[in-house]
Amino acid sequence: MGVLTRAVRNVSRRKMRTFLVIIALSLSMAIMISIPAGIMANQKAAQSIIENYNNTITSMQEEINKTSTLIEISASSRRGMFFGTPSGMPFPGFGQEEAFINATVVDEISTIEGVKDIVPFLEVSSEETTEDTMSTPRGSFTISRPVYTITGVCLKSTLIDNYSILPTNVIDGRNLIEGDSGVIGISLNLSDYYSVYVGDKLKVYGETFKVVGIYNSTARTVYMNITDAQRITNNIGNVTRLDVYAQGISYVNSIADVIEAAYPELYVTTYEDRLANLERTQAMYETTLENAESTISQTQAVAFQEILIAIVATSLIVLFMMLYTVRERTKEIGILKAIGFSNWNVMIQFILEGILLSAMAGGVGALIGIVGAPVISSLLLPSVNPFSAQQPGFPRQNINFGTALSQSVTVTPDLQTLLLAFGVFLLLGALGSLYPAWRAARTSPMEALRYE
Amino acid sequence: MSNLVLETENLEKVYTIGRRKINALSDVNLRVNKGDFVAIMGPSGSGKTTLLNLLGCLDRPTNGKVILDDIDVTRVPEKALWKFRKHKIGFIFQTFNLLPYLSAIENVELPMEGTKKSKSEKRKRAHELLEIVGLSARKEHKPPRLSAGEQQRVAIARALANNPTILLADEPTGNLDMKTSFEIVRLLSKLNLTQGTTIVMVTHDSNVASRAGRILFLSDGKLLNREKKGMHLLKGDLTCPHCHKPIQPDHTFCPRCGKKIE
Repeated sequence: MGVLTRAVRNVSRRKMRTFLVIIALSLSMAIMISIPAGIMANQKAAQSIIENYNNTITSMQEEINKTSTLIEISASSRRGMFFGTPSGMPFPGFGQEEAFINATVVDEISTIEGVKDIVPFLEVSSEETTEDTMSTPRGSFTISRPVYTITGVCLKSTLIDNYSILPTNVIDGRNLIEGDSGVIGISLNLSDYYSVYVGDKLKVYGETFKVVGIYNSTARTVYMNITDAQRITNNIGNVTRLDVYAQGISYVNSIADVIEAAYPELYVTTYEDRLANLERTQAMYETTLENAESTISQTQAVAFQEILIAIVATSLIVLFMMLYTVRERTKEIGILKAIGFSNWNVMIQFILEGILLSAMAGGVGALIGIVGAPVISSLLLPSVNPFSAQQPGFPRQNINFGTALSQSVTVTPDLQTLLLAFGVFLLLGALGSLYPAWRAARTSPMEALRYE
Repeated sequence: MSNLVLETENLEKVYTIGRRKINALSDVNLRVNKGDFVAIMGPSGSGKTTLLNLLGCLDRPTNGKVILDDIDVTRVPEKALWKFRKHKIGFIFQTFNLLPYLSAIENVELPMEGTKKSKSEKRKRAHELLEIVGLSARKEHKPPRLSAGEQQRVAIARALANNPTILLADEPTGNLDMKTSFEIVRLLSKLNLTQGTTIVMVTHDSNVASRAGRILFLSDGKLLNREKKGMHLLKGDLTCPHCHKPIQPDHTFCPRCGKKIE
């Protein structure tokens, strides 16, 4: 009959009390493991966002550097802002009618001194629309928007080879090539949306196209020959965007000036504009990240307070439970001391009971925490994911921060947190029962034996 | 070599309640030799339990000495007294004071906790003691399932667990009926005779006291200067466990049935 066996018997013979205490303590334990798990999940999400942001900025920077001789001309303002602004839209055509440039402009621009190549694009929204839910800091709302965007590309091999006008990340099938007609390349997202794969047919504006390639993108887009796009959308002779390439960087400003003077209705964007856009984008995202970091700091402060409350609550529950137990078992203490138990033996008995209760509650709490961490942390922390508000995307680069940000954060306590919390819990059990055990130990055996 | 195991010198206990001082014991001089079975008689409030608590190191005297096995326990620090309670003294209470959530054998093992005995040795010793008190068949029963007499037998076995120098019994029959009281006193007498256990028992029951070897009287906290010899074992009190015929304490084999007496 060891002291542990006696502790187990004592804890188990008062079933209802033990049950209630375990429930109360296990909630503390669940909080102690769920909150750090929530914080860690937040930090992981923040890290992922920062990495995503850095990669995006780097790739944008690289692209801008590579396209220093590019002058973009579009019929509407949004094309010039394709790197994203707070007012930028994730899909062309969303909330705005397409505006066109007549193809004759191409011939006129080609005569300007210093112009090397002109690549025309026709970007049109699909006829079919879909209902999408958007999350914003002000709440969620449903919007109706086109299912996909059609991008008509001039498939001349000299242009395809020299400029990045087609998606480069083809994951199945092939890319479009010169002479292609009646065929399309679609994004992975669209392929999943329609369950259409390489070799399958897809009806676009009433005409059937064969899918020859699928490229990796979170946006829903269709690439096709510009002639096909103009025909099916009834836009023969129209384009929505022109990429004008200068013979050298020294020609860029003069070409841009001429075009702006000749066609004031068109929006002209040069390397410098794009650089300015990039800086604005950087500034905007840095503000967003600062806000996010501030949110995380606030969340951590709240979490710290809540964990502190859980620790204090655990200690108090154990303390009062054990004080009550010591009072209730005063006579037993008297008996133990009368038959030769030392003060230390008596103390150990009660401390062990406190630890045992904590261990049992810790086990139950760990289970509750593992299963309920997402719910508990979302209830107790101001926001599990401070980035849940969707941000404008970047369709041109197929980078959509909104998607990355809205990814659900997995709140799962790791083994290290579990073991640490369990250790702290046992320590609290021991500390909480220290004073009651000390009181028990210094009880006079004669007085204790008289206690009824 | 002195035969004295317990001695008190001018023992005094004064309780202070507010400004009132109550002399619970005064000038008690008691000598108990090894193998004695002493009964201390006295009416309620005469200081019997106070005396036993002082002898059992459960309380401290106001004045005087308690010498147990040549050691003045009144000079031993409070935190070291547990060693005397554990190894030198066996306590038997009026209300048995068994732990209700432990079985009979576990209750008997309890005082052996913290001693050098192994788990199996403790179990063996507890089993032997339960056999001595005639309860080996009910060793796994918990106190609530035992009768009052059986509970007191378990308490006696527990008191003997560490082979103490002296057994102190505080009204051991106070909660028992007459028949069971007689059985318990007979058991104590048997232990005194067969095991040589030194016993000091306080009681207010003259019938119970008469079974002891020496009877002392306590009145108003003072030990009266008269001592009676008790009847100790009556004829027929010691019986053979096999044929239940009377035997003498020094018999190792029953003269009637010839079987060995444990």
